[in-house]
Amino acid sequence: MSKPYLEIISCNGQASIQDLGRPNAQHLGFSVSGAADEYAFLTANNLIAQQQNLSHIQHTQSACAAIEITLGQIAFKAHSACTIAITGADCQATINNVLVSNWQSHTLKAGDILDFSMPKVGLHSYLAVLGGFTGEISQQPWLGSFSQTKNEMALGFTGEKLTVGSKLYFNIRTQAQTQVEPKVASFNTSQLRNRPTPATQFYARDKLTLRFIASTIFAKMSVAQQTQFLATEYVISADSNRMGYRLNTVQQARSTSEQKILLEILRQQCSLSMPVTYGMIQFPANEQTIVLMKERQTMGGYPVLGTVMQTDLFRLSQMRPGEKVNFTLISHKQAQQQLNAFQNKLNFSVVY
Amino acid sequence: MPSHNSPTSQSNTKYTIDVVAENALLLSWPAQISLSQHDEILNLQALLKQQLHEVIVETVASYHCLMIYFAFQHVTSEQLIEDIKKLANNEHRQLANLKSADDCIKIPVYYDTEQQWDLVEVAKHCQLSIDEVIQQHSSHVYHGYALGFTPGFCYLASLPKSLHLPRKSSPRVKVPKGAVAIAEQQSAVYPSESPGGWHIIGQTPVPMYQSNNGQFKATINVGQNVQFYAISKTEYIELQRGVNA
Repeated sequence: MSKPYLEIISCNGQASIQDLGRPNAQHLGFSVSGAADEYAFLTANNLIAQQQNLSHIQHTQSACAAIEITLGQIAFKAHSACTIAITGADCQATINNVLVSNWQSHTLKAGDILDFSMPKVGLHSYLAVLGGFTGEISQQPWLGSFSQTKNEMALGFTGEKLTVGSKLYFNIRTQAQTQVEPKVASFNTSQLRNRPTPATQFYARDKLTLRFIASTIFAKMSVAQQTQFLATEYVISADSNRMGYRLNTVQQARSTSEQKILLEILRQQCSLSMPVTYGMIQFPANEQTIVLMKERQTMGGYPVLGTVMQTDLFRLSQMRPGEKVNFTLISHKQAQQQLNAFQNKLNFSVVY
Repeated sequence: MPSHNSPTSQSNTKYTIDVVAENALLLSWPAQISLSQHDEILNLQALLKQQLHEVIVETVASYHCLMIYFAFQHVTSEQLIEDIKKLANNEHRQLANLKSADDCIKIPVYYDTEQQWDLVEVAKHCQLSIDEVIQQHSSHVYHGYALGFTPGFCYLASLPKSLHLPRKSSPRVKVPKGAVAIAEQQSAVYPSESPGGWHIIGQTPVPMYQSNNGQFKATINVGQNVQFYAISKTEYIELQRGVNA
């Protein structure tokens, strides 16, 4: 039996294969990469596990590779029956021109057309499949992950960039069981379109306050300078992407040195490249902040004011240029508690 | 923002340990490029990887830092910091069996003016002749301090003072694979085509990584020594043909 796949039949946005990335390959210089919004990614896989009503699948399905679709505008043709789930930015997806609910699992028959429009809110949508996508037919995980990183595509370890004609193979698991009266798994969003649902309550409604763990440099700043940073409202720049979010100040750029948030003497302590991690707040000389996201490089040479907690980074990843954010402090313990609660709720299983 | 100063009784160096993320600790030494300090960082890295492998997920070393990613679900940051200090301060600790740094990797470079990279400009800014730039760059032994930026990119230091230049004011969109470049106190080889802000002074036909059976091996690893030597255009083309054969 030939391996089952979905084929991309039209594509005007961006799409890539993503799972939880390759955190263990940073010492070689590989970006961790992975799903920008782990909440929507993990929920998609959970919906599939719930639909199958098999708890043992939940464990193996939870980190399966999915398609991350950015700004919708993509269509797929199913070449075999499969169980899928759609989450994240609402692209008003249709199956054979019939609107289907977001944050829900669905079954596709061979020949079905799944079409995503451009979302009105948010950026990334996830298309997960029972068994997980592998990309090309003989594709193996590279250093523990199927995740595609834009800057590393030329190395050829993670298949080709997804485009029209790309065949997205997936593992055959218990696809046949979808014949048995499927249990509908969803957040019942269909009747409640105008009210916040449990799924979308995770996200910021308007402005997002990014909670961050302060760095030693931040601790060395004067109270006045710390307060100034915390009081600054930032606008997400159009240059933001899966590598980093660039944040511009709303007010005119501060000009004189008295108004600088970071003193030159502190800046000079940070000139040597050092390892950087997810959520670090880089602060270049122009004082326009960069928050490092999933496709960040492993080394950085800018001063770091702190690290945004991960659960807020998943929220930030869905925000668009022009939307506003500000910063507030949190202890590392509080951040750990938040991430722990998040992972427990989403059946995240740590695999090392 | 707890900063834990490590006791220095058994060690001459002083580092701090900070919790920088839910799952990451950063050990920071003084911000300097120093062989002995870097040896100590790599030693500690090897020791921690060996002794605490059940909770340490990944470690990344650089000039003056060691980032430690850990399974925060299984160990508290406080406990891990305690364990690290205990191991680091054990007087009887075995020096981790690091690969001898005596062997020196030799990298052939075609120092090239034809392609109009930055060799001419570097010479002008450093007030040296082109031959002097080549001589200075290739007569020095470099040490690999960090891998990063892109897979297989190894930060090498220290460049002779006469060649120190700030990064280019606006980075190139495309630096070719194999470009040998310099910036500030550092030199490096670009393993693959990528954007980059360093000054390109030549090109090497030697690939900066190999991969087989799902493994990735960098040509230059952190802690290794490197020397460059000049080759002619003909030699460059011949070597490149050999690599591609």
